Amino acid sequence: MQYSKYILIASLCVYFINNGATQTLNWNKLENTRHILSANFGLDFGLTSKLTYGYKFNTYQTFILGASISKPAGKTSFDDFKASINGQIQSFSWRSFKGSTSFSAIYRKQETSLVTLQNFGAEIKGTCGYYRSKWFIAAELGFDKAIVTHFKHTDKYRDEFYLEVKDGWYQPATGGNFYYGSQAGYSIKNMDITLNVGKIINQDFITSPVLPFYFNLGFNFKI
Amino acid sequence: MFKNSILLFTCCLTILVSCTDDREISQAGNLVPKTVVEDLNLPSITINGAKLHAQAFGPADSTLVIVLHGGPGANFKYMLNCISLADKGYRVVFYDQIGSGLSQRFPRSYYLNFGEAAVEKVFYDELTGVINYYKKQPDQKVVLLTQSWGSMLGTGYAAKYPDKVDGLILAEPGGLKWPDIIAYINKSRSFNVWSEELNDATYQDQFITGKTDDHAILDYKLAILSASNTIVGDIQSTLGPNSIYYKSVRNGAVIASVMLEIGEKYQSDFSSGISQFQKNVIFFYSSNNTAYPDSWAQKISAIYPQKEVVKVNGVGHSGMFDQLETWRTITEPKVIKYLNSL
Repeated sequence: MQYSKYILIASLCVYFINNGATQTLNWNKLENTRHILSANFGLDFGLTSKLTYGYKFNTYQTFILGASISKPAGKTSFDDFKASINGQIQSFSWRSFKGSTSFSAIYRKQETSLVTLQNFGAEIKGTCGYYRSKWFIAAELGFDKAIVTHFKHTDKYRDEFYLEVKDGWYQPATGGNFYYGSQAGYSIKNMDITLNVGKIINQDFITSPVLPFYFNLGFNFKI
Repeated sequence: MFKNSILLFTCCLTILVSCTDDREISQAGNLVPKTVVEDLNLPSITINGAKLHAQAFGPADSTLVIVLHGGPGANFKYMLNCISLADKGYRVVFYDQIGSGLSQRFPRSYYLNFGEAAVEKVFYDELTGVINYYKKQPDQKVVLLTQSWGSMLGTGYAAKYPDKVDGLILAEPGGLKWPDIIAYINKSRSFNVWSEELNDATYQDQFITGKTDDHAILDYKLAILSASNTIVGDIQSTLGPNSIYYKSVRNGAVIASVMLEIGEKYQSDFSSGISQFQKNVIFFYSSNNTAYPDSWAQKISAIYPQKEVVKVNGVGHSGMFDQLETWRTITEPKVIKYLNSL
């Protein structure tokens, strides 16, 4: 009953910001953990909410396989969303310093009055920081690549902009963004409260997206 | 284990940055139409070394009505209802400004290199060139018919070259002094953070990114970005048979962003000297643009010494021109009366 209350609270919090497809974890507080459920809220190319589930394998190096789904705010539910399958592995550990690497396979969709975009992408992320049992602070660096994107335009786009627009799959990669920042968290019993903040820059290292930063407040519940 | 992680990281990065040749978003003609540089069938003129998409209608030696579209970076398609002035005996000239519409694109650095003089060297000199190109008689009158950014430009030009302009038709210049311009921009784009509009504008950045001068990509993103703005009250243009003169539309993202940057840096002021412009002007504004209330129209129009201010009901920011019925019944009669008075 107590657990279900926490899960309900986490689920209700689903309107905030986040960045990165993987979970923000206290790598020093994962013993006796098998399942990790996370709710994240923040700015990630829009006002976004995300739910993630992670399963920890009992391997020599800590490895977590997870899946997540996130959606931005807006009046239409799930016309836009991002789903991913991801893996996180602890790369190194020296005293309280730990590093992790994660890789995510991403599917995302955006639907506007002009076009529906569907994209398969990938994200790689590295984290390195100082982890204690009650708290942690770390730096993070990631790259999110929109590898292949399908464009399907509406009649409105054809009428108002370009009748001969070409629908279909577009390659080479249609986009990519680097992000870098920091993460911190506080752990209580089987819960973590996490925070990620940072900056996003396009892959040319010059231009920036409309929202050039990210902010992510997260809540982890571990079983 | 650490070595394995490095190896995994390197492999993943290689996969991410590798690509195969296929349909490219950076190629004009795929997601956005070609400009006059790539499509030689489009009507064009060359002014100051830039190839501009341009068309003219009506008797060549009658009063010149030069249409200045909004933006920066938009195009003249939505102004096409003004073609009917040609039937009334006027020479109506439409052109996409440099870097805008289907006109030639230039790199960002081209504009920035002009520094504080960018508006004068890029837009005023271009307008002088367009006037000279179409003016057939020394005493041929020149009237600027303008909207939004075009009205800011027209005001600045009339202030700087009052002898070159016989009449000025304005429609909702957002502002003329930089603080007013920025205030209007902020108000007209103050989307609700929970709204679909804001989400549509920001979410696309994870699908599509373009370099500084990737014009086709950036222009496409601008089209998606500007698809909907209920604040200014605009709806889909109704151009009737006039739409055949401009089939495919494209907006210029680089010129749009670079002019904002220049304006911010040099605090552009389009009103400087306009208080000395003693010729009559007509100033339209709309009822449905919530960022342009009566008080704002009064404030912005106050600087023109001789003016008639006309509120057009039932339309938004561009509606006095791009809604055919409104143009026929409200705007055009006022414009013709004004032209006849010059």
